[in-house]
Amino acid sequence: MRDNILSPRLKRRTVLAGAGLLAAPSLIRPAMADEQIILGTWGGDYQRLQMENIEMPLVRKLGIETVPDIGDELPRAAKIRASRRLPRGQMDVACVQAVQAYALAEEGLLEELTPDKVPNLAHVQAGLSTPTFVPHIWSPQIISYNPERVKEPPTSFGDLLDAKYNGKVGFPDPNFFYVMMAAGLFGSGSASDFDKAKEIALKLNSNGLRLYPSTDAGGPPFKTGELDVGVMWLARIAMWQNAGIPVAAAFPKEGCILYVSGMCVPKNAPNKAAAFKYLNAMLDPSAQLGFAQNMGYLPTVTNAPLTGKVAQQLALPSPAPKLVVPDFAVTSKALPDIADWWKKSIQHT
Amino acid sequence: MAKPRSTTAAASIFLGPATCVVLIMLVSPLALLARYSLDKFDPSELMIEAVTSANYARFFTEAFYYQVMRTTIGVAALVTFLCLLLGLPLAYRLARTTSRWKSAWMLLVILPLFIGSTIRTVGWMILFAKSGMMDTLAATFFRSHVDLMYTPAAVVIGTLSVNLPFMVITLQSVFEGIDTRLEEAAQGLGATPGRAFWRVIWPLSLPGIGIAAILSFILGMNAYATPVLLGGPRFQMMAPLLFWEFNTNSNWPFSAALAFILMATTLLLTTLANSIIPLRYRA
Repeated sequence: MRDNILSPRLKRRTVLAGAGLLAAPSLIRPAMADEQIILGTWGGDYQRLQMENIEMPLVRKLGIETVPDIGDELPRAAKIRASRRLPRGQMDVACVQAVQAYALAEEGLLEELTPDKVPNLAHVQAGLSTPTFVPHIWSPQIISYNPERVKEPPTSFGDLLDAKYNGKVGFPDPNFFYVMMAAGLFGSGSASDFDKAKEIALKLNSNGLRLYPSTDAGGPPFKTGELDVGVMWLARIAMWQNAGIPVAAAFPKEGCILYVSGMCVPKNAPNKAAAFKYLNAMLDPSAQLGFAQNMGYLPTVTNAPLTGKVAQQLALPSPAPKLVVPDFAVTSKALPDIADWWKKSIQHT
Repeated sequence: MAKPRSTTAAASIFLGPATCVVLIMLVSPLALLARYSLDKFDPSELMIEAVTSANYARFFTEAFYYQVMRTTIGVAALVTFLCLLLGLPLAYRLARTTSRWKSAWMLLVILPLFIGSTIRTVGWMILFAKSGMMDTLAATFFRSHVDLMYTPAAVVIGTLSVNLPFMVITLQSVFEGIDTRLEEAAQGLGATPGRAFWRVIWPLSLPGIGIAAILSFILGMNAYATPVLLGGPRFQMMAPLLFWEFNTNSNWPFSAALAFILMATTLLLTTLANSIIPLRYRA
């Protein structure tokens, strides 16, 4: 009969001592960075690449550690709005698209950003930044097509209305607002002409427009033959090509709407000084090239030239296409009405 | 009467924290939501404090929202009916089996709940997609194509797969609670197994079946991930619509009103179902 469940060689005190040694590392406080900032960001690849290209190689050296607050853009903007009256906000740096940044700035919620605070702002390409928004990545919206099935590449948004593409045109539904701007640009030369855009969108819809619930879901249909043509960011085309999807980009002659995403600092950010350092690191050429190589978005700074395969994939044609920065003052106000119209007149029919 | 007073005090001490948690975590957000639903929406200001019924009026005056609610009720009702149809025999068999594999069968039923419903939906997407598993099998064996993605059928199948384990678990425990000797007595008196089930087990299990059906119906009414991922942007149900208003339009007042309308409709329909079914059987 055993009177002790432990073997003679393994005494209780030995076990306790061993357990104590094993637990010891968890009790020792890890080396902490000098400062912390809360980074409101998207999850997935974007956040991973932020960690790999901005935080680990650049920001940590400055003694700053980020605490990611992962979520969609609109809830993030809602948090900034909800905490507008608090002396200390919930975020130091918020990742948003330019349209949203403009709306937040209009409401007086964002800190002004100057080269004194963020020195690398001096290298940002003209037209991409605003006084309260630092652009991180950008990509032109192009016409996507399957080069195996479409022998003559489209040249304009209007080509999508061609009867030969009936039932073979589609794009991810979350991009609807940018597609509406492209339709307006084709219809009347103005990306803010939503009346014209509605006419064109209705015609496109009656031709059997296909909509997909997420950006990622817009790529595989080119491989299965469900789609021949669509509308997408150039960056996604590079990603899909790398994934083996037969898709190519055509630049519409009337111009490409620019997708610009970046970062801003709320006025009540708890640690503004560290937030400015983070923005500066984000504009560093090495960080910018890391995003171009891994996500296919173009650098927003002039001192990060692309080379190799990524330069070929993301090259703009010559002569350079017309690049159209949306009129944010108009678009930020029009979005709710257009979204409502889209839901009822396009999605629901 | 010192003892009852001390018992009441002890009960209050034990119930107090739980009541506080419910009040803070459930009632307070609902009260806040109710307040928001009466505010006005402004694209730049977002919410303007007001007491207006405009958000509720908008829902009841536009046919679009009525159609979305009708689709939602239709999907929830159909899924509940299919859950009953498939779950009832399965749960009954599980409850009555004396096999040593009973625990294994139960585990198989519960196993899908170990994975989040969104992840399971991704599995359905792989099955339903064009050139996906079902399409490939159909093309190989029947020389035809099956393209279920972004169809109402895909949403019903996906929601059914989410709700069925809940239905089976609930019904199985209901049948377990009914004494098997009642069936044996009925059969001893000459009833066939089917008649014994219909005349003895069914009426006894009806309140439990009602609860299982209500559970499935509520889950169906509030389904979000399945309609979004399997139904696509053109398939409209209430929960995705509510999120669209909140997320895309930032229209918090209207999305709060939609949440209350959805909750009230679900409550009304489940109350109706609960009161109608027992009456029919009493007659």
